Amino acid sequence: MDLFLQRLFDALTNGSTYALIAVAMVLIFKATTLINFAQGEQAMLGAFIVLQLWKWGIPMWGAVVIGMIFSGILAACLERTFIRKFDPADHLPLVIITLGLFLVINAVAAIVWRFDPLSFPQLFPSGKAVTIGDARLSWYSIFAFGSCLLVLFILQTLLTKTKIGLAFRAVSSNLESSRLCGIKIGKTLQFGWALAAAAGTLGASIYAANPVLQIEPTIMLRALIFSITAAALGGLDSLWGALIGGLTIGFVQSVVVQYIPFIPNEMTLAAAVVVLLIVLTFRPSGFLGTKTVERV
Amino acid sequence: MAPKITLTRGTAQYQNLRILMWVSLVLFFLLIAFAYVDVGSIAIGSNKYNLSLIRLNKAIAYSVAILGLQVVVGYTGQIALGQSFFFGTGAYISAWLVADYSWPFLLTLVIVIPSCFLIGMILGLPALRIRGLYLALLTLGLAALFPTIVKLDSLYKYTGGAGGKLTTNKITGSQYKFAPPSWLPLDGIAQALQKIPLLGGYFGDGPLSNREEARMWKFILFSLVAAICFWLIANLIKSKPGRAMRAVRDNETSAAVSGVNLAMTKTISFGIASALGGIGGMIYVAEVGIASPDDFSSLVAIYLIVGLVVGGVGTLSGAVVGGLVYALIPDWASSTQSISFVPQRWLQGPTGSLILGLLLIVLTLFMPGGISTAAKKLKNRFITIQTQSKLTNS
Amino acid sequence: MKNTLLDVDELKATYGQMEVLHGIKFHVQRNEIVVILGANGAGKTTTLRAISGMVETTGRITFNGDSITELGPDYIVGKGIAHVPQGRGTFPELTVEENLKVGAFIRSDNDIKADMETCYETYPVLYERRLQSAGSLSGGEQQMLAVSRALMSKPELLLLDEPSLGLAPQIVEGLFARFKTMNQDLGTTMLIVEQNAQIALAMADRGYVLESGEIAVEGEANLLVNDDAIRKAYLGG
Repeated sequence: MDLFLQRLFDALTNGSTYALIAVAMVLIFKATTLINFAQGEQAMLGAFIVLQLWKWGIPMWGAVVIGMIFSGILAACLERTFIRKFDPADHLPLVIITLGLFLVINAVAAIVWRFDPLSFPQLFPSGKAVTIGDARLSWYSIFAFGSCLLVLFILQTLLTKTKIGLAFRAVSSNLESSRLCGIKIGKTLQFGWALAAAAGTLGASIYAANPVLQIEPTIMLRALIFSITAAALGGLDSLWGALIGGLTIGFVQSVVVQYIPFIPNEMTLAAAVVVLLIVLTFRPSGFLGTKTVERV
Repeated sequence: MAPKITLTRGTAQYQNLRILMWVSLVLFFLLIAFAYVDVGSIAIGSNKYNLSLIRLNKAIAYSVAILGLQVVVGYTGQIALGQSFFFGTGAYISAWLVADYSWPFLLTLVIVIPSCFLIGMILGLPALRIRGLYLALLTLGLAALFPTIVKLDSLYKYTGGAGGKLTTNKITGSQYKFAPPSWLPLDGIAQALQKIPLLGGYFGDGPLSNREEARMWKFILFSLVAAICFWLIANLIKSKPGRAMRAVRDNETSAAVSGVNLAMTKTISFGIASALGGIGGMIYVAEVGIASPDDFSSLVAIYLIVGLVVGGVGTLSGAVVGGLVYALIPDWASSTQSISFVPQRWLQGPTGSLILGLLLIVLTLFMPGGISTAAKKLKNRFITIQTQSKLTNS
Repeated sequence: MKNTLLDVDELKATYGQMEVLHGIKFHVQRNEIVVILGANGAGKTTTLRAISGMVETTGRITFNGDSITELGPDYIVGKGIAHVPQGRGTFPELTVEENLKVGAFIRSDNDIKADMETCYETYPVLYERRLQSAGSLSGGEQQMLAVSRALMSKPELLLLDEPSLGLAPQIVEGLFARFKTMNQDLGTTMLIVEQNAQIALAMADRGYVLESGEIAVEGEANLLVNDDAIRKAYLGG
């Protein structure tokens, strides 16, 4: 029982991180039906910037905020330079461009920071908060999950209560009518890219701040597959769906796989891909996605 | 303006030029083989760039795998990106048969081709429902999965786990030897080439060692296998199934309306692409001598896409260019140790990956047809080929 | 020409290789209702899309004395042209109220709330459903919402693309009656594209008939109704 509880706690930790990256992908998919394969790498780069700022003596959370702003601006520039000129309905060039960004960002980070793992500042108090039997829930897990909820709440507010948020949702809903209403599509999507990158950077920073992890340029590679699956599970266009998807994947990873003896431990990745396959084949709108989302 | 040559298809002049072109291409190919059988290198500044047959053999392996991507992505328009999965499958099956059952490499194709074809078709089944970006997502997921699958403990017997599968024969403990047949005087040709005044020095000196002979024989064999693949696909593209594939790519609905069986066309195209991936994998493992999990990671899947795009999506010659780009550029990038004005730091680390990524972006933005389309355009500026008009003939 | 609100001359538009409009000329006076009739594929929708900047065009489009030929849709709305596209063009995932807010996107004055109230007074059903998603409305309600959404940008000229499409005849009558009162009470200028010539001409001041990308007939609406050729082609005998 304690073991089960412990794994549930682990699921919360991993799930929150996946959810944050998944949210970033959902933001972009919602508006453009584009999956940004470079999302994880943008987040990784953002986390490295945070680390660098912190090393230069900027207080931890200040570094995180500056890092988020930086990656937001960078993403806005990337959108303007590489994405906007392509027809959103023609997927292949866009997939290729984001794969190219993936390679370039990964290589640049590896050239600048090398492949050696570096330790990331502790964003949250260390130690355990709750102990039930042998199961320990660390402060880190609680704060990671809390940040995830907070980010979703902020995004939700931003999208429903502000004018640019309204424009963003209008563009996601009906591109042509948005243009006819005088919304500047390019600027609005750029805003979406910036928002997504900022959320991703926070996600990667929280992920790297896990006391058992260190940061290195390949840190997001594995997480990306889990996050994509999480986003797809949630329906690819639903923010809260991304959270549910993230937690589900975290759960599959740390609970289901542990209790099914014939699945070896390393197969969590396989479990995620299989889940992805089943969802995409039989229910492309995921848990909370819009039914008409099959705009492929 | 450069002088423009106009040729007419079907005339004797055109035929002669065509034959001349092909003969010189094959001769050039063989000369390269003899010149670089010994690890050759070009020095630019203080950097040495290797151009050995080892790399060219790898380039052939990648070209065949990219040819598979041309079929499924370029001609059928399905964004299936997980070619490294089949590249790896072919490599592992081949290594296993060679090491554990003492099969010759080429014979393993008898198993590799049908099994990759089948796996590709089966994995392609969900693609009948999943389209566009979702398919890209899923296939990249599959590619990421491959290394974990071969590292499974339960498959250790066949795959050698994380350490990889050596192609060394299990019983005799020796490597499979690519021995050229006795009627082929490779040695004699090499020595004859060395006697050419002035240029002879490029062909090394003395007789070929056994290893060099084997390497050259491999190169010739692999080139033949690849040539057969390219020839078959070139014919496929022109045939009825090929037209069906292009119809699916251009517009699924109108393809279906005009009687194309969508499911069949897509599944077969997945199968062919995977089989080609497998053949590429066989060539790769025959060259490298070991199938190791990290050689078939999702990064390799992305690199193969780079090859596809840089060479030119939807062109056969693009696959050749793509294979060369993938085999040579990362290698040359890491050989570059110093360029003036560029800090040392930027020349170490994954510069190859950086260049490939930049190529991917720049070509998609400015040269969407890739290098091979650009070359074709350049050729058309100098040579015009007309189809003979039937009216004036009669 | 002082009273001319919209003046279109030599308007050509192409989709890919195909030229859809071959240099048409027409105008809309202030406070007028003008209808463009024509069969499917005659270029009616393209004409409206050309005015609001959604397709590449050559020629001259003058609005309020300014050339708007080169402008993109986001600027043209600002000049005072609102476009209700074919098939409603609402935002199905957004609530009714949010749809109206998006309609007022280009405005930053303080009257938005008041104008929204006016919309609700005109169409009380929209008020009842203001917190529902637009996708859940019926066809007629969606058309009301689409028109209200367009009016929220305070346009001088309202472009309506086949407002009767897919609606029951009684609903169409009500809708067109509302257009007429809107025109009489508020002086809203309208350019309507329709296939339903009967009801459109009954309400309009003037009409044009578009045939294969060219203006075939033009004239006062009441004269067009009585024109034999028009009767044969569009009014069913």
